[in-house]
Amino acid sequence: MTIKKTLLASAIGAAMTAAAIAPAVQAETSLSMAYDADPVSLDIHEQLSGGILQLSHMTFDPLVRWNQDLEFEPRLATAWEQVDDTTLRMSLREGVEFHSGNAFTADDVVWTVERLKRSPDFKAIFAPIASATAVDAHTVEFTTKTPYPLLLNLATYIFPLDSQFYTGEDGDGDAKDEIVKNGNSYASRHVSGTGPYEVTERQQGVRVVFERNEDYWDEDSPGNVDEIVMTPISENATRVAALLSGDVDFIAPVPPNDLERIENDDDTHLVTMSGTRIILFHMNQERVEAFQDPQVRQAFAYAINQEGIADRLMKGFATPAAQLSPEGYVGHVDDLAPRYDVERAKQLMADAGYEDGFEITMMAPNNRYVNDAKIAQAVAAMLARINVTVDLKTLPKAQYWGEYDDRAADMMMIGWHADTEDSANLHEYLTACQNLDSGAGQYNAGIYCNPELDDLVAEANLEVDLEKRAEMLQQVEQTLYDEAAFIPLHWQDLAWASAANVDIEPILNVMNFPYLGDLVVEEQ
Amino acid sequence: MTTTHSSVTRSSTTSRWERFRDSYLLYSFKRDLIAQFSLAVFILLVGCALLAPWLAPMNPYDLAQIDILASELPPFWVDGSDPTYLMGTDSQGRDLLSTILYGLRVSLIIGFGAVAMQASLGVCFGLLAGYLGGRVDAFLMRMADIQLSFSTLMVAIVVGALFKAIFGGATFSTYAVPLLVLIIGLAEWPQYARTVRASVLAEKGKEYVDAARVMGLSSRRIMFRHILPNTLSPIFVISTVQVANAIISEAALSFLGLGMPETQPSLGSLIKSGFDYIQSGSWWITLIPGLVLVVLVLVINLLGDWLRDVLNPRLYKG
Repeated sequence: MTIKKTLLASAIGAAMTAAAIAPAVQAETSLSMAYDADPVSLDIHEQLSGGILQLSHMTFDPLVRWNQDLEFEPRLATAWEQVDDTTLRMSLREGVEFHSGNAFTADDVVWTVERLKRSPDFKAIFAPIASATAVDAHTVEFTTKTPYPLLLNLATYIFPLDSQFYTGEDGDGDAKDEIVKNGNSYASRHVSGTGPYEVTERQQGVRVVFERNEDYWDEDSPGNVDEIVMTPISENATRVAALLSGDVDFIAPVPPNDLERIENDDDTHLVTMSGTRIILFHMNQERVEAFQDPQVRQAFAYAINQEGIADRLMKGFATPAAQLSPEGYVGHVDDLAPRYDVERAKQLMADAGYEDGFEITMMAPNNRYVNDAKIAQAVAAMLARINVTVDLKTLPKAQYWGEYDDRAADMMMIGWHADTEDSANLHEYLTACQNLDSGAGQYNAGIYCNPELDDLVAEANLEVDLEKRAEMLQQVEQTLYDEAAFIPLHWQDLAWASAANVDIEPILNVMNFPYLGDLVVEEQ
Repeated sequence: MTTTHSSVTRSSTTSRWERFRDSYLLYSFKRDLIAQFSLAVFILLVGCALLAPWLAPMNPYDLAQIDILASELPPFWVDGSDPTYLMGTDSQGRDLLSTILYGLRVSLIIGFGAVAMQASLGVCFGLLAGYLGGRVDAFLMRMADIQLSFSTLMVAIVVGALFKAIFGGATFSTYAVPLLVLIIGLAEWPQYARTVRASVLAEKGKEYVDAARVMGLSSRRIMFRHILPNTLSPIFVISTVQVANAIISEAALSFLGLGMPETQPSLGSLIKSGFDYIQSGSWWITLIPGLVLVVLVLVINLLGDWLRDVLNPRLYKG
């Protein structure tokens, strides 16, 4: 390439980057933020993922939400009472309007719960709810099949949709409320909620523009941001550089190797929390026969140096894990520690008859979890020591989840944060036998199946004696560990950073759902 | 170029070596310090690359030798280094020196391979277009025009992405080197075709071509045995530039994640893998392979400049 061509190319490149992240000037208070990726769809029932739930909190409101002390805070539900063992009655907020102008009523909640129970991703969580009925325009009753102690936890995931807006057929004759995974449905392109922000412009993978909902019901909200421009920047270094140079005001996640740099910068503000999201690898027993042998799975578990990854790649910004439940969860077993021992792993491989190893494929996202692609590379290198050759492919999350649903590789990475802040949820989604009707095991890419554990978890969900329940869930963790159902890596810590005048601390929480509606940006 | 006249006066027993010793090429080389230095560095780099399996302290493509606990160690002159890893290690714990040696080999194979491919395609098309003229010429040159209107990188990215989509990442990783040669080779043949065609047009009208034609020689023989040797000097000059270009293209593609797979880093992918760390302390992961790449491309370009000056008869400096 000649110098002229190179200069031109870099000039165009620079112009494009500048255009992509330049904050819009016309709005009064504008926030430009950069995440590692933008939401894959506007349909909040299409995928159960952190990105979609973050979007939900911007464009919708939940019935109740967690505050920073993990207590319930009323949102669209103003009050609730337990009528009997299996019935919860909720009073809904009056005078709330959707973005479309339709009034919010109990019918919308009923409609939303019914849609959730149809969603392949969400239905397992909502299985305990037998029905939701509208008592009057602003009262709704939830009935559970059996007494269920976590119903309010579930209500944090009910973001009422505008039932009138999503009813009918679109131009192609498809139902507007259709849920198409990784596809193109009406709901994946159009959105109407009650939330603090409306989506005014969206270019997948390029930017999403949110504008403040003028008629937002929550007049007590301190939030003063009129416009949010969200730009996905998947390169860690570029995202940090964008914040430090003032191109964007808010970034997440912050790569561990840049924490110190941001903390030492006077113009930026860093918030960190120890997280509860477990990062793990599934070993697909259907695709690889060897994985059906518990010895091989154990060998893999022994070959992985969790402490090395947490210490070197994550710079100590993660807690090495040997189980699903983080400390503080009822199912957490204190005695389970990472079992890194290469010699033992080799021995187990030899015992299983795979002394010479075998070849497997591995997939991991490269813009979903902190350092995901690097972690996958490190795991591949560690497996090489027990003679397992790994063909690794890393993809952006927009493509990765499609592959994940197809179980397209022998080992796949996933991170999971318990939706109900409870150990049972981790098992139900990640290690339960796959059941398309109930949605159990929806993210179990290992196809590991132990019906006894499923029964134990189901029993635990009915157990009112909390000590007994904890014992049962700990039993589940212990069995998963002994059988090496999956390879746990670590619980990923959380980090966000912003410009000094953006007060992010009050809106952040351990679920990693920033309540951007309440964000205050001070005048500079 | 030796003329028929001078070769007659020389005794027929002079060997090739003696002719080379008396040539202007060597004469000029002996007086050009920059050329001597460039050639020395180039030979050193090529030598290191060829001997990589014996010189390198470890095999960076063998994942079993990588230890995550040894990641991000600095080079020997910085505090906290480990003498086992002279140039430090990357974020996965690969020895940087070994990775650079192996990466250099990949870069050179791709550079020379792609140029061989470009040259053979370009020379054939250029000869055909120039010698046959007419429709063949119009067709080939319009093809070249169309291709020149796309940037090399874009063509390479599209072809690479298509291949990955059709055959999957696994196949791509296995055949990454020949594929990159093919992709970069296909993308730049018009450079050669254009130059060769221009030289052929100039040569075509000369008497020796007419004479050959009158003797009844086939077009193929005239093109390859008579015209081609007289168009070689611009081809040599372009080749040096193109080798450097191809190496840079490979590095750029690998940097974008479309080149060598992450488990077999070339210089470009090594630079990319260190990119995240360049501002957070571990500058050596990007900087050292970056410098090696710059030096490699620079010496090739300097050699090319010198060759151009020597082979251009209008620039005889006496």
